[in-house]
Amino acid sequence: MEFEKLQDIIADVLNVQKDEIKPETTFVDDLGADSLDIFQIIMGIEEEFDIEIDNDEAEKIVTVQDAVDQIKKAVD
Amino acid sequence: MSEITRVALDGMGGDNAPGEIVKGAVEAVRLRKDIRILLTGQEEKLKTELAKYTYPEDQIEIVNAAEVIETAEPPVKAIRGKKDSSIVVAMKMVKKGEADAFVSAGSTGAVLVGGQVLVGRIKGVERPPLAPLFPTLKGFSLLIDCGANVDARPSHLVQFAKMGSIYMESVMGKKNPTVGIVNIGAEEEKGNALVKETFPLLKACRDINFIGSVEAREIPYGAADVIVCEAFVGNVILKLYEGVGGALIKKIKSGMMTSLRSKIGGLLVKPALKATMKDFDAGEYGGAPLLGLNGLVVKTHGSSKSREVCNSIIQCVTFKEQRINEKIREAIQTSQEEKEKNV
Repeated sequence: MEFEKLQDIIADVLNVQKDEIKPETTFVDDLGADSLDIFQIIMGIEEEFDIEIDNDEAEKIVTVQDAVDQIKKAVD
Repeated sequence: MSEITRVALDGMGGDNAPGEIVKGAVEAVRLRKDIRILLTGQEEKLKTELAKYTYPEDQIEIVNAAEVIETAEPPVKAIRGKKDSSIVVAMKMVKKGEADAFVSAGSTGAVLVGGQVLVGRIKGVERPPLAPLFPTLKGFSLLIDCGANVDARPSHLVQFAKMGSIYMESVMGKKNPTVGIVNIGAEEEKGNALVKETFPLLKACRDINFIGSVEAREIPYGAADVIVCEAFVGNVILKLYEGVGGALIKKIKSGMMTSLRSKIGGLLVKPALKATMKDFDAGEYGGAPLLGLNGLVVKTHGSSKSREVCNSIIQCVTFKEQRINEKIREAIQTSQEEKEKNV
């Protein structure tokens, strides 16, 4: 559920196809995202899931799975 | 009566805030009945400033925002951390459709980050460029990009050229505007890797009037209507332009004061010089729009006085009337469809 919603957010921000986004996909190397794109995705996550991700935690996000883990941690 | 344009104005941004910002807002509503200003910032300070003027009060509303983003703050951290700042509150109003446009003289970094992240990019726009108009011998040109995206790619510059052309034609009324890429020589094979890769892509664009390379010294003579470059280069051009202009005026003024004869001569040419200088005053053209967003975002100089603030606010009416964002959206969509067809 978190993953599907995240796919929507990433596809929208980076203008990529949803099937390109897998748990092991990296934001920078695989999807060509820069720091602003990642920031935009994190803001999108915070809005969608009504959570707040700490700056230090946000900086550790490299793969899509990392982002899913952050969402789960914040929701719990 | 024409439609009302709602402008969210950052009351706390800039070297002369809130005094000159509030004064600029007052000047704008005195001139135009079709503008409504949503002034964001610390309520008490804004109220004190507004109390100094008489103006149509139903046209300016204060929207309280307790925090201020300072110029020296890291932009991403500031936008994330200061949710009750004048910039974030105003941009969210644009995002929600409560305001048509946002104007700020505050932190450029925060405006660029906020514009991209809070207001959002038009689908398909890779990077939104900052595009100021600047005076030339032929009138004015658009410098795109002058500070939003360092390390641009060729595809970004192609989009800048398209967005810049739409802006010059729709907002400034230049028919079939010429587009040039900033280079260190006129020949196609000149330039760094970015320019060499971008040149053939621009040449192949059917929807712009590309005239080739433009050398920096030709820019003040009005070599092209749309001057395309990456942000680093654009920012250097803009600042050098301002610096050379300012230094030259200073030198002329001091030259005129050297003897009685030159003082009399100076007095005689003063009116003509003043009129000429007005043409070369960038403040006359208002602020620089951040193009390609889902809303209007205008950045005006950090040292803006009320006149520039007022011009930037009034500029938003034209942006809205000319549907600049919709036109950019249509152009980007068309080129994406063409790209998909060719794949």
